[in-house]
Amino acid sequence: MPVATQTVLRLDRASKTYGEGESAVEAVRDVSLDLEAGKFIFLMGPSGSGKTTLLMLMGCLLRPTSGSVYVFNEEVSSLDEARLPRVRRDRIGFIFQGFNLFPALTALENVEVTLNLKGYRGGEAREEARKLLTHVGLERRMDHLPEDLSGGEKQRVAVARALAGNPSIILADEPTGMLDSRTGRLITEILRDLAHEEGRLVFMVSHDPRITALADQILQIEDGHLRD
Amino acid sequence: MVSIARKNLFHDKVRFAVALAGIAFAVVLITVQLGVYLAFRANVSVLIDHTNADIWVTARGLENFDFGKPFSEKKLYEVEEVPGVAWAEKYLLAFGYWKTPAGSQETVQMVGFDPETMVGAPWNIVKGNPQDVKYFNSVFYDEAETNRLGNLPVGAETEINSHRVRVTGIIRGARSFIQSPYIFTSFKNALNLSFVNKGNTVYVLVKVAPGYSAQEVKRRIQDTVKDVDVYTSPEFSKKTEDYWMVNTGTGVALLAVALMGLLIGTVIVANTIYTSTTEHLKEFGTLKAIGASNWDLYRIIIEQALINSVIGYAVGMLVSYGAIQAFKRGHLQILLPVPVLVGIFTLTVMMCLWSSVLSIYKVTRIDPALVFKS
Repeated sequence: MPVATQTVLRLDRASKTYGEGESAVEAVRDVSLDLEAGKFIFLMGPSGSGKTTLLMLMGCLLRPTSGSVYVFNEEVSSLDEARLPRVRRDRIGFIFQGFNLFPALTALENVEVTLNLKGYRGGEAREEARKLLTHVGLERRMDHLPEDLSGGEKQRVAVARALAGNPSIILADEPTGMLDSRTGRLITEILRDLAHEEGRLVFMVSHDPRITALADQILQIEDGHLRD
Repeated sequence: MVSIARKNLFHDKVRFAVALAGIAFAVVLITVQLGVYLAFRANVSVLIDHTNADIWVTARGLENFDFGKPFSEKKLYEVEEVPGVAWAEKYLLAFGYWKTPAGSQETVQMVGFDPETMVGAPWNIVKGNPQDVKYFNSVFYDEAETNRLGNLPVGAETEINSHRVRVTGIIRGARSFIQSPYIFTSFKNALNLSFVNKGNTVYVLVKVAPGYSAQEVKRRIQDTVKDVDVYTSPEFSKKTEDYWMVNTGTGVALLAVALMGLLIGTVIVANTIYTSTTEHLKEFGTLKAIGASNWDLYRIIIEQALINSVIGYAVGMLVSYGAIQAFKRGHLQILLPVPVLVGIFTLTVMMCLWSSVLSIYKVTRIDPALVFKS
């Protein structure tokens, strides 16, 4: 686990523009950020402000048009397409608003398949998946398909999946957006604990003002510009 | 290791069933059509391939074995004089009309051979002794033609071209392709029963003497005997096959149906896999986000294609087996040697893999933003 003050994710004047010429849209403009391990950070902003694009830049799903992205001091923005999956696999866990679970796989298999991608095999992957699901309180629901789980349970599976392979960075895109307020708060507390107790960087996009009190830092983005 | 490909396939049972039905349909079409084609191909030259002659001498300008034209049997003696000829035999093939017990007529092809030398005699005897065709108007027919010829048992009598004949034996494996059953008898009987003039033959079969090549003797016969065509047995076999396969379009039509099966199967499987990929696009995007490489995604699609092909092939073969048994009861010959079955399996796998290309293209271009849309 990284030490609490280590910078694990850094953006240096990162910008992202979609399209060219007159139709070009600058979704993220000149964003610089130093994000440390052990922090629970919220990103807020209106619809179309560039939240998702920023999250994709941080998650190595997009390359910046200009500027750089560093993960553990490795400049990842210049890596080619073949090498980026390794960074995502080894360093980053994603949590999505719509859960994005594989509907044909049980909760256990959803986590296991992620572990398989990260190099875990057979019984080792299954055992680790059980541990992660137990960690998020789903020990009794492991063999259920997503369609048989409640929204909160699905998001817990998604959290367990994000933790597969023990990544240092968790990027969450409105993880409480489809949950009721009580469940949303529970999930947020789990994420906060991942930062504070396990020393991970948890970076979360949210619109939900009820849970902002749990954040260590709240960033605002508007028209692609970031402000604290 | 968890197989997303397998889980996804079995999770969506209706789609999987549609894909399997498409593949199985293609496999059945390809298998049956190829089987019929191969049997057809083997059948059209079955008599040529089962004589032990090395060379066939025919009337000038003959198109194929089944439409033999008579020529003077004096040519036989000229052929016998050619150096390198071990022996030469007359062989007759002529159309005739067979009277069934119900009073109707069936067109038949009489095959006349010498019962002393047995050159050109039937080879797979079910009942009777083929040498008995030396007796007056004694004939053999293929068991596959029993119904058409009126279910006449050995010992029964009927007429060919209004001449009384007696069934003295039943054979197997000499079914005529052109739908006129072969009736085996002696050359002498065949000449009596047919409209071929006495003193003529339809073919002269030649055995090459040791130390000579068939090509060499063929050339000598061509140089020596006028107004005849000369072929080695493989050449004559191929000429006959080509005539029926290519000139008449029959073989091309059979292969075209097999090809259509392949195309239909490819379209159905491609459509099924592509639709499945499109519907699971977000899952592919999620996999990509959590660290899967493009190759990991390709592997899932390819695994789906392989599972589809293996199970689709098995289902298709089961259905084909049932269809083939039914066809065989109707005496339709189907030939499916093991290498052909292996070939069809390979073709099925290729078809399914090819069907995946569009899907692979699709996942390669997944927009990463897709995973963030709820």
